[in-house]
Amino acid sequence: MSRAEGGSRLLRSELSLVFGRRRNITLLVGLATVPLLLGIVLFVTQDSALAGQGPGFVGRVTGNGLFLVVSSLVMCLPFLLPLTIGIASGDAIAGEAQAGTLRYLLAVPVSRTRVLVVKAVAALAFAGAAVAAIALMALLSGAVLFGLDDVTLLSGSTVPLGEGVLRIAGVAVYVGLSLTGLVAVGLFFSTLTEVPVGAMAATVVVAIVSAVLDTLPQLAAIHPGLLTHHWLDFAEFLRLEVDWGVLGEGLAVQGAWVAIFASLAWSRFTTADVTS
Amino acid sequence: MTETQPSSPATPPPSSPVAPASATALATPSARRRWAVPAVVATAVAGAFVAPPLLAAAGDASLPEVTPLELLAEVAEAEPMALTGTAVYTARLGLPEIPFAEIAGADPIALLAGSSTIRVWTDGEERSRAALLGPASEYSVVRDGPEAWTYSSEEDAVVHYALSAEDEARYEALADQLRAGPSPEVAGELPTPEEAARLVLDRAEEHSTVSLDAQTTVAGRDAYQLVVTPRSTETLVARVVVAVDAETSTPLRVQVWSTQDEATPALDVGFTDVTFAAPEDAVLEFTAPASATVEEVVVPLPEVTEMERTEGAAKGELPEGVTVAGEGWESVTTLTGLDVAALVAGDPAALASVPGSERTLGSESAQELIGEFLPEDGEGGHPGLSLDGAALYEQLTTEVPEGRLLSSSLLSLLVTEDGRVLVGAVPAETLRGMA
Repeated sequence: MSRAEGGSRLLRSELSLVFGRRRNITLLVGLATVPLLLGIVLFVTQDSALAGQGPGFVGRVTGNGLFLVVSSLVMCLPFLLPLTIGIASGDAIAGEAQAGTLRYLLAVPVSRTRVLVVKAVAALAFAGAAVAAIALMALLSGAVLFGLDDVTLLSGSTVPLGEGVLRIAGVAVYVGLSLTGLVAVGLFFSTLTEVPVGAMAATVVVAIVSAVLDTLPQLAAIHPGLLTHHWLDFAEFLRLEVDWGVLGEGLAVQGAWVAIFASLAWSRFTTADVTS
Repeated sequence: MTETQPSSPATPPPSSPVAPASATALATPSARRRWAVPAVVATAVAGAFVAPPLLAAAGDASLPEVTPLELLAEVAEAEPMALTGTAVYTARLGLPEIPFAEIAGADPIALLAGSSTIRVWTDGEERSRAALLGPASEYSVVRDGPEAWTYSSEEDAVVHYALSAEDEARYEALADQLRAGPSPEVAGELPTPEEAARLVLDRAEEHSTVSLDAQTTVAGRDAYQLVVTPRSTETLVARVVVAVDAETSTPLRVQVWSTQDEATPALDVGFTDVTFAAPEDAVLEFTAPASATVEEVVVPLPEVTEMERTEGAAKGELPEGVTVAGEGWESVTTLTGLDVAALVAGDPAALASVPGSERTLGSESAQELIGEFLPEDGEGGHPGLSLDGAALYEQLTTEVPEGRLLSSSLLSLLVTEDGRVLVGAVPAETLRGMA
């Protein structure tokens, strides 16, 4: 068995492990019910006095089902998505360590670096699946409940449905990519402990602390570097002229977090004394 | 955890010996060296984020020497350029705490404090768009000759400003003469560096000394810095610094310094990014979205005689109920017969009690500049104001024996109990002394 073959086999088994686990499937289903619930609530109340109101893009949903994608992502971004990422990435190494299976995994003739890469890819895939579950379910329920229409941008211009769908897809992709930093943080925590719950909680705490720090005006100097600071920049896709510089900056910050925490995770994992 | 892990054949006993893989990993001499990798990565990342701004700042602009007056003339003569840019506006007016967190989206009221990002597009002629960016919202002001629109994404509301049909015909006829003149007044206008600079520089020489500061770089472009210092020491304005693009003579940044804060400018609006190219037509066009509520506002085009009167206003012929004491920067405007309470409550009928047009008051002084920066100040209470005007008024002003006082680092405003409003770029004590 060649090394590359071993790696891809490992990846396949890891992916089927992550996506086959009942807890993870439940998580995805749970996330997918958020847009469904939101859509139903808005559908039922659309003739009441409260119609057309709500934070973010909720007020626009009844007019155009496409906005259910954006408002669902906005609702899940502060807590539910970080929680999902925390569970998936925090469990990656620590879960195997706790179950006592890590040393058997390392006995496979594949380098530790490769094992870590496989774990990271699987966690990223799960993060992507979480965003996709929300976005697709929102698109589906939005289309069924409210219908799809030309998209009115934040600037007041209206773009045709095709371009609107592309822009909303851009929003979902950006949200997915802005979670990569958190995946790296979770993976690092996962290499530190044999208690997966600890790594999961620490990952969620990082996201929440980052969001809290982002609201303190006294810390304005460090805001641009915070993990969560650029998360809402997906709104750029809904402006008249998409400023790719703004989006690039947000992704560059995620890249920086990924680089630092992935290298930390690598150092830790390749030097750690694995006993279980 | 009782869940089974398919990647493992069986669950081993807890006291299992060290796995062979880890033994080899520890045996490698590079084990400690591996921890150097994150350090190197972190350093490289920090370098990548810190270095570019430092390099940009280090660029020493060695522009040909000019005198302040030459530069002033160049700015005055320069053709307005078509441009697309992003400007950052920061206000440190020292106003009382306002619950800005209550403002859900992009709203011009946010310009009273903190930093805002504004995108600007203009064709250098009649058409322009300025957009105040919120986290997931936008407030746009679009102008097209005699028409203008504002659009708030948060409220999905359009306000359309236009001339009446007769006025529009007259506008077309007078277009050439009027082009430099009044375009419709928009409530909740957005400040751009160009607009702000024009207001300062137009009459810079009358009551101020003009000098040059060190050359600088704004938005990556070499720029001269004009410093306009009021001759008067009675005003709150210490100086106004305008950075002028060396190539196009377009103002790129305006900083207004208060006498009360030497460290940072009280108002600062400048481009962070600018390109001198005509924007696409789609950007400069505006059609109200189908879902939006549209409010129509007909703006009267001033009669020619009225326009002359407006020009005369600067020479002392003021609308009824308005008096100006003092000159230039230290001038204080007094308005009488105002129903402040109704204005604050946002009663449109009360706007009729405002003597003359707001814009004709003391047009030569800092007041107009401040009017530009504070589109909806304490006395405004525009119908479009989304916050509760009365609550805002309560929060911004403080009780003094003479009435209610709004005191900021650049402007003071005193509303007396007998219905007079005193406003000027002077310390609050001066106003209280005059009341």
